[in-house]
Amino acid sequence: MEAMGWGDFLIVFACCALTMLACRVLPLFALKGKELPENVEQALGFIPPAAFAALVANDLLTPGMFDAGLWPAAAPLVAAAVVVAVAWKTKSLLWCALSGVAAYALLMML
Amino acid sequence: MLGYVAIGIPCGILSASIGLDALQVFLLSMLFYSGAGQFMIPNMWLAGSPLASIVASVSLVNTRQMLYAASFAPRCEGVKKRLAFLFAATVTDESYGVNTAKFEAGGWSVGRATLVNLMSQGSWAISNVVGVLVGNAVGVPLAIASFAMTSIFICLLATQKASAANVVAAACAMLGVFTCKTIGLSGPAILIGALVGVMGALLFSWAKERG
Repeated sequence: MEAMGWGDFLIVFACCALTMLACRVLPLFALKGKELPENVEQALGFIPPAAFAALVANDLLTPGMFDAGLWPAAAPLVAAAVVVAVAWKTKSLLWCALSGVAAYALLMML
Repeated sequence: MLGYVAIGIPCGILSASIGLDALQVFLLSMLFYSGAGQFMIPNMWLAGSPLASIVASVSLVNTRQMLYAASFAPRCEGVKKRLAFLFAATVTDESYGVNTAKFEAGGWSVGRATLVNLMSQGSWAISNVVGVLVGNAVGVPLAIASFAMTSIFICLLATQKASAANVVAAACAMLGVFTCKTIGLSGPAILIGALVGVMGALLFSWAKERG
């Protein structure tokens, strides 16, 4: 992997910071107390589950991942199941990150 | 605010793992200021996503801030424009929760809410920079750093409301990502998958409303 240089960083940074500022500030001044249209609100509400699921799937699923046998290809999935259990129990990002890394490292050593 | 430190330090460590330096991470934390977004950038960079796809996906996730801004709009009526702007520009998921509860309890002002936002932002930025310094000193193996990010996204996904439509959104998104990767579109897979998920959930809820 190449490290992210200043050029690439500035592009990502400037674009993301601008869209973020627009999303945070514009509705406040544009709506002036009115509410967002219902279907817009509904669509916005679906973005977090869809986006996080896409990120998780992208990390965990690869076509042909079981071609070389079920193990160790399934190790990240098992570690992911551990994280889901921790997430429901604690709702803590930190505990999820720690338990996920620990489970992943342990399974990789098997 | 302890929550910001607990996540800010790992976020800094992971940002350092793709070669971002302390100044870059400080800029991101102050001006972009988004936990999920700041985990997404290194994650997608590691996955080899093209820049346009990273920007579009992160921006898509940013749009959820519009919900927060809209919900605070009535509270900001009659407040000076400059203060309202500063307040709106510094809202995040966590401080949104705190401030909404305080506004509902009463006796809370936009000025004090902005102070909560700024303190959260400050602790987020400082702990991110500390994380970069720690990350550079320790040198976390990439596979471990990468799985830490996966775990964070699993947590964010698992703590969403488990409504039927949300489950449809998640399932469609996962299917969308897998399909994209199968046909060789791994670059924009996350973005396309997320959009497929949103559309699937919208279709699902429209179909349900019509019975």
